[in-house]
Order: sequence, then structure tokens, then C-alpha cells
Amino acid sequence: METATHQSEEDILIQGLKSGNEADFQKAVRLYTPGMMAVGRYYLDNASAEETVQDCWVSVIDAIQNFEGRSGLKTWLHRIVANRAKNHLRKNKREVSADFSEALEPELANRFHPNGRWATPPSLRFDEDAESLMENGALSDCLDQHLTRLPETQRSALMLYEAHQHKSDDVCNILDVSASNLRVLLHRARQKIFLMVETFQETGEC
Amino acid sequence: MLMCRDLARIASDYIDDELGTAQKLSVKMHLMMCRHCRSFIGNLRASTDLVQAHSSGKPDPELVRRIDEQVAQALDAKKTDDFT
Ligand SMILES: [Zn+2]
Repeated sequence: METATHQSEEDILIQGLKSGNEADFQKAVRLYTPGMMAVGRYYLDNASAEETVQDCWVSVIDAIQNFEGRSGLKTWLHRIVANRAKNHLRKNKREVSADFSEALEPELANRFHPNGRWATPPSLRFDEDAESLMENGALSDCLDQHLTRLPETQRSALMLYEAHQHKSDDVCNILDVSASNLRVLLHRARQKIFLMVETFQETGEC
Repeated sequence: MLMCRDLARIASDYIDDELGTAQKLSVKMHLMMCRHCRSFIGNLRASTDLVQAHSSGKPDPELVRRIDEQVAQALDAKKTDDFT
């Protein structure tokens, strides 16, 4: 039921974009730019990513005519950004670097006895659900800061997978990583967020 | 036998249901006996929910303004094109 409504809303928006309706473009820009920036930032610095996302929106005016809806609009837009960003990288002969070798965050790896048992077990208590926790402005700000400080590769993977609810295959495709490397990026990012919330609960500080 | 550190390495794979049957079973066995790892899995899951709830879905207003402007210009140019 929910997906059906969602689907038709997207269809209406696509129709509006195809007919060049400015208000529909404004709506789509607000809806999809955060995800597109997450893709862009995986490959590029902030200024180049913004430039790429801007160019993408202008190119969408024509490209949308050929959009057949086999993938969702979001995935289609994310692929356009990824392709452009990769071209940009090639031109500037840069590469994305990330460490895929270790699944454990060093800060967490320190918390085990040599025999592999917990020496400093997790102390976090979650008595409230995520929605009500986020009403705590200080925690929300702290999460913002830590998300900003994550390595781009980890942050983009986390954003596309969690916040934009892409399937693993889509994320691998958009970010050009293998399935196992995506698992490492996600796991490392989640551990950092866990460590942050734990510190925040223990000390009340970010 | 699966130790806490091994479990911590594959905790996200367990949460996302990306483990094979045998590995999943050994995680489940471990979780039955180890409350620290139960709490770690719960914590990691909750952290994940937190990112979803937070989802920093607000685009930078300055960037949005620039995109609106460029799109409006390009749409105008296209309309003029179509008439000529
Ligand atoms: Zn354990």
C-alpha cells in the first residue's frame, strides 16, 4: 500500500520533470541532492562534488526524457553523479583510497583480552528508540560532527546504505567497491558511531 | 570456537543477515551464552537506527539556491530554443 502511493508520487514527479516544470525540479532538487552529494563526496572534494551535482541537475533536463523507470529515480540520479565524478577523477588522475584490510576499529580492538573475550565490554544502554534519542539536540549535534569526521568512503557507504536505503548491489555499483569491501566500510563506520554514542552517554560530552 | 573479538568483526554482517548458515549459527550460539556480545549487537543495531533517524537529509541551502538558478536558466533557454 505504502509503496504503491510512493511509486505514483515518484511517477508524477518524473512526469513533471519530463515536461520541464520548474516547481517539480525544485522539489526533486531538495529531495535528491543530499544523496547525490553523498555519492559525489565519495570520489571528490566538496567543491568538485558540488560542481558535479550542479552539472548533473542541468543535464537531467534533457536526460530525463530517456528515463524509463527501470531503476528508481534516486538510483538513476546517483549513477549519473557517480559516472561524472569518476570521469572527473580520471581527468585529474586521482584515486579513491580506503583501508579495507581490518574490520575492527583500533579503538574497539583494544577492548579485548588476548584470549579474545571482552576486557572492556560495551556499556551503552538504549532505553529509548532512535527517534526520541534524536530529539536530544546535543546528541544530534554530536552525531553530525562525527559523521562529518568519518573518512569520505565510510560516510558515503553509510549514507547510501542507511540513510538512503540503497541495496548493497546498488551501493557497490555506485561506489565501485566490491561487496566485501563495502562490508568493511559499513562496519567500520558503524563502530565509530557506536563508540561516539557510548562516550556521549558516559560523559555527556561529544 | 567463536570468541567475542571474532564476533565483533562480523557483527554488521550478522545484523544485515549477510552471513552463511554455519557462521550465523555459531554467532547465535555465542550470543546465547555471552551478554556482552548481546549488548554489543544491540548497541551496533541502535547506532545504525540512529543514523537512519538522523539521516542528515537537509541539503546545503546555498547549493540548492545555485542549482535552482541554473536549472531555471537552462529551462528558459530550452523553451526559447523550442520556439525558434
Ligand atoms: Zn562474547
